[in-house]
Amino acid sequence: MVLVLKDLCVDFTGMRGKVRALNNVSLSIEKGEVLGVVGESGSGKSVTALSILGLLGSNANISNGEISYSGQNLLTLGPKEMQSLRGKKIGMVFQEPMTALHPTMKVGNQLAEVIKRHRSVSKRQACKLAIEALKEVHIHDPELVAKKYPFELSGGMRQRIVIALAMSAPPDLLIADEPTTALDVTIQKEILQLIKELNDRRGTSVLLITHDLGVVSNVCDRVMVMYAGEVVEEGITEAVLNAPSHPYTEALLHALPDLADPGEPLKAIPGEVPDLQNRPAGCAFASRCPKAMDICGVSAPALELVSTNRSAACWLRRDTH
Amino acid sequence: MNTLIDFHSVDKSFHKGKQSVRAVVDANLTVKKGSVVGLVGESGSGKSTLGKMLIGLEMPSEGSIHFEGTPLWKKKKFMRPRPGDIQTVFQDPQSSLDPRMRVKEIILEPLLALGSRERKEKGGRERLTSLMKRVGLKAEHLDRYPHEFSGGQRQRIAIARALITDPSFIVLDEPTSALDVSVQAQVLNLLKELKNERNLTYLFISHNMSVIRYMCDVIAVMYKGRIVESGPARELFESPRHPYTKILLSSLPSIFREKGPVLSFAPPSEMETGEEACGFFDRCPFRMEACLKAPAFEAITEEHGVACYREG
Repeated sequence: MVLVLKDLCVDFTGMRGKVRALNNVSLSIEKGEVLGVVGESGSGKSVTALSILGLLGSNANISNGEISYSGQNLLTLGPKEMQSLRGKKIGMVFQEPMTALHPTMKVGNQLAEVIKRHRSVSKRQACKLAIEALKEVHIHDPELVAKKYPFELSGGMRQRIVIALAMSAPPDLLIADEPTTALDVTIQKEILQLIKELNDRRGTSVLLITHDLGVVSNVCDRVMVMYAGEVVEEGITEAVLNAPSHPYTEALLHALPDLADPGEPLKAIPGEVPDLQNRPAGCAFASRCPKAMDICGVSAPALELVSTNRSAACWLRRDTH
Repeated sequence: MNTLIDFHSVDKSFHKGKQSVRAVVDANLTVKKGSVVGLVGESGSGKSTLGKMLIGLEMPSEGSIHFEGTPLWKKKKFMRPRPGDIQTVFQDPQSSLDPRMRVKEIILEPLLALGSRERKEKGGRERLTSLMKRVGLKAEHLDRYPHEFSGGQRQRIAIARALITDPSFIVLDEPTSALDVSVQAQVLNLLKELKNERNLTYLFISHNMSVIRYMCDVIAVMYKGRIVESGPARELFESPRHPYTKILLSSLPSIFREKGPVLSFAPPSEMETGEEACGFFDRCPFRMEACLKAPAFEAITEEHGVACYREG
């Protein structure tokens, strides 16, 4: 296992008191695997990524759980040790490629700087490797692009450069948080293909965070669905999307306009995500769940194995187990 | 169905110093009364500019736009048909609602464009509360501020604001792009219901093909300012003609799409292209020499048209 999270709980302290953003989140990624994390805004996807990277703000507190990377518990590491891990062992790609790049530095130099730091090579060699890195993310004419500033490049090109930066160490794990959300569909497809290709060729494990189930179905081996800071379902992508075990996953799939008959209304999920400040006693999805039973309002189901390779946190699945 | 809006060879260029960009090039499009026309295309393709010319935010550089038979722009002035007859809902409900105004003030503001009698009639308490209920909000929400609402609720406020003047036509510019999937479904349902109840006409701008397919009767695909293909939604999805439309449809990361052969952009062409060339030449997988002179937009059937030599 490259990465294992066990019962991770993260609390944020705000003006109105404490909010539990992650509640007993567990996950694992094997070497060479692409794990997708899907959920709507506020479900805890990004907080999961930030806690792995040790980038949570000072108002956050990890109150429970473990994060282990290649057998090493990350929560016991100091800031300096985390710093040496980030970028080198764990690469990151964020949503907005413009803010991730230095605006007044040529992209070639940005790449060379990172390469020099991680690989202890000479400056000249770093520049050469930078061109190589650009080639690897399929940039035509890398010599020319290396001499450009980020603002001179399109969004898709910038995201390619961010990926080249993230992969330059090269890391064992790539965390990509909504890497294609700011891009056009046609470019989105190219970027996803690129991530998948790097994963295939180098065996880099990928944690891909997205709100888009379509993206998940295209590139992820396994998928984990989050709701209100909890994992509600986890399994092999195709199986989960074809036969979801948790009513939330099912409702999410039905709410998509992709296959809907234009003559029929869409199957929207009624209501809204619960206020995390006052987390309901039972299952967080109970108030919106069409299949809710009495027990769902009283006691929250834990994430348990419901069949081979599939876990779900739902009382409905208990009998079948 | 009667024609409500007619774009006739509309051009729009933006200038900055000596540079100029043609955001919309020779656009021809008709919107029939009671229909939903979808505009798709990548960012910068001119979708929003086309919409803005309808609500008076941008002036066309060339060509004419008719609304119910009368020109919308005359001598560089926006000729408002009936105040409040054309309304709009923008993408980001975060920035399209004034944070310092109460919901009630926000929703009633468009009425300021109307005469005092009509303003009183349409801004009555009863009408306001029933409108709030209709869009899925509560009467007690009227005295709150925008920051107290979620994204979906804010978009409902924006929809109520558009409806208060009883418009016949609404420009929806990416109305659900900033929303989560479950909330998007709620808002799309609401928009569809309202359209049928009030016999509205929509211009629906979006980059999301699944949403467009679900919402629209007619679709126009834009690329670099030109409408490269337009036709009935079903036909366009089942048998797209323009290479760009084909690529757009095959890039959809839809979970339900059969994973057939995927069409991609060609690597940039080495050939010198002039002003004359087809706008898609540089990335078209089927380009040929004839394409160095841009093809005209031609009808294939009465309703379906395309600007491509291979299909025209």
